Amino acid sequence: MEDDNEYDQQLEENDEDEEITQEDAWAVISAYFEEKGLVRQQLDSFDEFIQNTMQEIVDESADIEIRPESQHNPGHQSDFAETIYKIGFGQIYLSKPMMTESDGETATLFPKAARLRNLTYSAPLYVDVTKRVIKKGHDGEEVTETQDFTKVFIGKVPIMLRSSYCTLYQNSEKDLTELGECPYDQGGYFIINGSEKVLIAQEKMSTNHVYVFKKRQPNKYAYVAEVRSMADSQNRPPSTMFVRMLSRTSAKGGSSGQYIRATLPYIRTEIPIIIVFRALGFVADKDILEHICYDFQDTQMMELLRPSLEEAFVIQNQQVALDYIGKRGATVGVTREKRIKYAKEILQKEMLPHVGTGDFCETKKAYYFGYIIHRLLLCALGRRAEDDRDHYGNKRLDLAGPLLGGLFRMLFRKLTRDVRAYVQKCVDNGKDVNLQFAIKAKTITSGLKYSLATGNWGQANAAGTRAGVSQVLNRLTYASTLSHLRRLNSPIGREGKLAKPRQLHNSQWGMMCPAETPEGQACGLVKNLALMVYITVGSAAYPILEFLEEWGTENFEEISPAVIPQATKIFVNGCWVGIHRDPEMLVKTLRRLRRRVDVNTEVGVVRDIRLKELRIYTDYGRCSRPLFIVEKQRLLIKKRDILALQQRESPEDGGWHDLVAKGFIEYIDTEEEETTMISMTINDLIHPSLILGVCASIIPFPDHNQSPRNTYQSAMGKQAMGIYVTNYQFRMDTLAYVLYYPQKPLVTTRAMEHLHFRQLPAGINAIVAIACYSGYNQEDSVIMNQSSIDRGFFRSLFFRSYRDEEKKMGTLVKEDFGRPDRSNTMGMRHGSYDKLDDDGLAPPGTRVSGEDVIIGKTTPLAQEEAQGQASRYSRRDHSISLRHSETGIVDQVLLTTNADGLRFVKVRVRSVRIPQIGDKFSSRHGQKGTVGMTYTQEDMPWTVEGITPDIIVNPHAIPSRMTIGQLIECIMGKVAAHMGKEGDATPFTDVTVDNISKALHKCGYQMRGFETMYNGHTGRRLTAMIFLGPTYYQRLKHMVDDKIHSRGRGPVQILTRQPAEGRSRDGGLRFGEMERDCMIAHGAAHFLKERLRIRLSVEGARTRPDIVQVHIPYACKLLFQELMAMAIAPRMLTKEDVGKPSKDQKKKGA
Amino acid sequence: MDGVSYQRFPKVKIRELKDDYLKFELRDTDASMANALRRVMIAEVPTIAIDLVEIEVNSSVLNDEFIAHRLGLIPLTSERAMSMRFSRDCDACDGDGQCEFCSVEFHLRAKCHSDQTLDVTSKDLYSSDHTVVPVDFADPTGYDSNDQQRGIIIVKLRRGQELRLRAIARKGIGKDHAKWSPAATVTFMYEPEIHINEDLMETLTLEEKQSWVESSPTKVFDIDPNTGQVIVVDAEAYTYDDEVIKKAEAMGKPGLVEIYAKEDSFIFTVESTGAIKASQLVLNAIEILKQKLDAVRLSEDTVEADDQFGELGAHMRGG
Repeated sequence: MEDDNEYDQQLEENDEDEEITQEDAWAVISAYFEEKGLVRQQLDSFDEFIQNTMQEIVDESADIEIRPESQHNPGHQSDFAETIYKIGFGQIYLSKPMMTESDGETATLFPKAARLRNLTYSAPLYVDVTKRVIKKGHDGEEVTETQDFTKVFIGKVPIMLRSSYCTLYQNSEKDLTELGECPYDQGGYFIINGSEKVLIAQEKMSTNHVYVFKKRQPNKYAYVAEVRSMADSQNRPPSTMFVRMLSRTSAKGGSSGQYIRATLPYIRTEIPIIIVFRALGFVADKDILEHICYDFQDTQMMELLRPSLEEAFVIQNQQVALDYIGKRGATVGVTREKRIKYAKEILQKEMLPHVGTGDFCETKKAYYFGYIIHRLLLCALGRRAEDDRDHYGNKRLDLAGPLLGGLFRMLFRKLTRDVRAYVQKCVDNGKDVNLQFAIKAKTITSGLKYSLATGNWGQANAAGTRAGVSQVLNRLTYASTLSHLRRLNSPIGREGKLAKPRQLHNSQWGMMCPAETPEGQACGLVKNLALMVYITVGSAAYPILEFLEEWGTENFEEISPAVIPQATKIFVNGCWVGIHRDPEMLVKTLRRLRRRVDVNTEVGVVRDIRLKELRIYTDYGRCSRPLFIVEKQRLLIKKRDILALQQRESPEDGGWHDLVAKGFIEYIDTEEEETTMISMTINDLIHPSLILGVCASIIPFPDHNQSPRNTYQSAMGKQAMGIYVTNYQFRMDTLAYVLYYPQKPLVTTRAMEHLHFRQLPAGINAIVAIACYSGYNQEDSVIMNQSSIDRGFFRSLFFRSYRDEEKKMGTLVKEDFGRPDRSNTMGMRHGSYDKLDDDGLAPPGTRVSGEDVIIGKTTPLAQEEAQGQASRYSRRDHSISLRHSETGIVDQVLLTTNADGLRFVKVRVRSVRIPQIGDKFSSRHGQKGTVGMTYTQEDMPWTVEGITPDIIVNPHAIPSRMTIGQLIECIMGKVAAHMGKEGDATPFTDVTVDNISKALHKCGYQMRGFETMYNGHTGRRLTAMIFLGPTYYQRLKHMVDDKIHSRGRGPVQILTRQPAEGRSRDGGLRFGEMERDCMIAHGAAHFLKERLRIRLSVEGARTRPDIVQVHIPYACKLLFQELMAMAIAPRMLTKEDVGKPSKDQKKKGA
Repeated sequence: MDGVSYQRFPKVKIRELKDDYLKFELRDTDASMANALRRVMIAEVPTIAIDLVEIEVNSSVLNDEFIAHRLGLIPLTSERAMSMRFSRDCDACDGDGQCEFCSVEFHLRAKCHSDQTLDVTSKDLYSSDHTVVPVDFADPTGYDSNDQQRGIIIVKLRRGQELRLRAIARKGIGKDHAKWSPAATVTFMYEPEIHINEDLMETLTLEEKQSWVESSPTKVFDIDPNTGQVIVVDAEAYTYDDEVIKKAEAMGKPGLVEIYAKEDSFIFTVESTGAIKASQLVLNAIEILKQKLDAVRLSEDTVEADDQFGELGAHMRGG
């Protein structure tokens, strides 16, 4: 017995020490998604804004100090010499989302109500305000009166759904359902006036980073180094500094001529670098040189600096240098002292602000400036390659938090400005200061709302706003919603033909989806996050600085430049803080602390051994991804840890954060990745399939497809119908598509599990044959089985909601819902009003079509408007009728009040869409097609088993497109269907076609998926065997019934009397040049003449022989009138014999 | 021209017969006949299915059209269908399709009062005619009876939800809508004729034979355990996939086996939805096929064609 036990134990131990398998890695991945969900970046970023940034912004604003402007007030003698008002803002408080009804009742607001009633899901923000009145007596004594106002309302902040301040935060699935929410909805968006808005992450270059570029010759400059410097409080636009080295040829006459010059903010011309140093107080050549090239033995570099030294030879002290700079500034015609002071200010405040803007920063600034030049020279000497602008380590992402932070900072400043102006006015007029009136909450409330509602980031009608930052959340399919929440935009001019920023960069591996990007203008500029990226939210730098101090970092005061070449330079967020002589130890310690979560896990530690630099980053917006930690060639995570993970009781304890805390996993950002050894086998935690984004993860076997096909599918998956949220019946979306019988795919990928694609699918496992059959599936059309359609194949629901409200016009007049009465209402529609109930709304269950009125609304007619109409009319019709090309059944009517307490109605119309010829379908491999023909079951080809395909696609769709993935999906689908299991089509696994084929053979089918089929019309065997099997198909939202359009006569534009444009207006169809060409080619000249030739017939008028009747197009007449309006007199010259008309000519015309 | 008669006398041999399953041989005819029979079985044998639904109350999660569509697809016992009238030709009710000659009325009332979801199934449909009722799938052998066969699910109701409706079932054919198709599967195959070249086969080793036999995905061949000879165990399992022929070629033995499809011999498999018995389905199909042929023979166009084609026309009528 004992022996046995021992043996067992041993075995167990071995077992537990075992390396983990691929399957175990998936357990870890599951833990990740379980904890983080799919929109973590949005939520984290917003939480950071709410919890820290907002308070920081309030704190950083200095107290408002108001001194009364001396008003001339004779006869009035003040008791005090001076009264100073100081207003300070303190602690902020944010409540849960609230809504105040028009009758003043306040209640918590739930997202469902906000969506339905077109409200804004926002929470009131309060702040503690202190008002201090300091009264200085004539005798110098001071009296301070302090008044505290707690929780003063300063505005409403829109709340991101499922963030920590949302009412839904950490609700259980059941609670969510009871609140009318979809439990699969991830949140991460806002509700502004009832519409869901996403903040699209904005990509930007990282600041405080030295970039050195080689200029393409011929160019004035050979090398350019640039730094976009921004101090911590990002309230100002970054100040950019360029240090450029002239190219040899451009300097005429000069010996070598490679001068190096720098640009300084507000200084018009470039300043030679040596002069900058001298202006900073480093006068001696030696002092300057040791700040640049540290090592005087480095003759090459010293040689490169010679021209610059020579250039600045004439300026040999600080005052002269400062004057030199000052002269080139904005100030003209001031004294030398002023110029010097001005230059000093610029050097202190404007140049490289991230290094410091206080006093005594000169040393640090000189070192940093020297470092910039050092980097420039390294590049010029060819010792270091030029920087890569497109490297993802050099990019930062502005997510919801920073975006809102910027907006909030601006608005809060505006608020304080307004407060100041108000208080100043009060004080000046001797009135009492009432803070409640001074603080205009509307500034923040409507400021935030405006930007979120319109997407124009920044103040209304102010310059420098970015458009399209906030977008309406796409709700077509669940996957499209998810993908939208993980989208990313690079604000680079779309027209720019520069290809590089659009190209996939190596450093994007694992961060950005390589497949999912739009085609055309925005190709490569709009990206999507890969599944396992973590975007840093930013942490404070001071713990790192303290740590560095503690662990022996030497700062500039302690060292001589001569030791720099031997030591490693330490940068924190791009700022050079000092040097260290044992970087190996330092990095090890830092990493160890990070793995123990003693230092924030998102801190990036980059040790560049070659450059002797250690760069540490704590800023926000870096892309990073989790990796397993390897020590001594073995993963730290072991089998037992996986078992513990799988066997934990509740998802709260243990889980992902625990794995991170235990030091099995760490986050590596793009820049650190470059200095890390990452094995591409399992120890790279991110299974290679997780480099894909949301949409590309739905593709089975994407690794067997030609890459653009994956891109096409990524775009098309967003148009597929499915179930976009589980609560669609409680929502009133303007447009919604829901599939009747959605199925989870037979062939799946592992990532789908986390995308909830099985729960909210968007497609059907159709039996697809790849065959030529009757020819009705040529050129990307497909044949569809009519009997399948009869049985409900790809049927879908279409919902459209119409909304209207009783607007108030003036104080007394209000619009009214109700059935308009023909006897007293003017401007009634042509549609039928019969379907309206007495309340003016079509009741649910009513069949409506064409231009039937579904919401009846009238406005009282103002007296002057009714003039002439003999007062028969007292109202004007403002009803809403159904779109003329649509029919349906009224599904649901919602009558409620909006934020202003006005009656507000939404009517949802439903219709069933049955697949028909012309509707669009697609597989998951970018193979889209329209239905070209439907055949009933008996006409379809069949197999011995009696199986008829649902869809027949043409074989010509395959070879040139190389979507092998579809073929593999098909045979795997066949095996899966037969075995009653799901097929695993995750990319980069060891599944092979051979394996699948063998399994299929075992199932009793031809191993490659071919089947003998019989012609349904004749019963004869088809000569070729047909590739047949289940393939997951998607119904796309483009349907003929929404597009079909023709017109004979119809509406015309009022101005030009030309036919209106577009189907929605029953517009005309242009017979354009190409159509004209066709007629010419066809030889139908008379038809052409009849249709197109501008008939210009001339006829003599009966009474006045000198007047000619001319037929011209109305547009021509319009042109003449417009010309006349511009004082150009157009003249029409008719044939010579006008004036004496004869019978003969009348007949001929002209 | 009273020479050769092309008239043939097809034979039918029934192999297996169950209520909803039939397997038979059809011999001495050609593919056109076999296929016509198949097509008629799928698309032209009439059945009864719900065609009109009047919904009184529907507070379920599915909308009215959805439920109506689901009701339509429920198979109803349709023995009466052949003798019923199409409502479009019914003179008793002037084509409004609501009389006893052309329609059957159904009622459904269901409301959920408990916290458990209530399944509304085809069993909740009450018919006005006891001969036309939703098909009962409960296995008569009682093999599966313990797991409470409750018919075809229509919708699930949650507490407080209700469904009340009146439905009219009418006669129709599968060509108009698949809900009227009585056939779940109708398929036939050409009877294969397999000749093994015994001499060539004997040149193979046992392993080679084994791998050749296994190259067919279906079990057509086997090796006699006693003699070691390759024998045909089930010729009809052959799906004309050519795998064995390709295998033989790959083994360097072309002509190892020769397989032909007999042009005049078919093996039919018929599965019924339950609306009518599989055997009745075949009989009805033949009946309808005959009616269709009569229609051709007796139509005026055919007479005209007779005038045009003379004896050939007469021959076409089977004269």
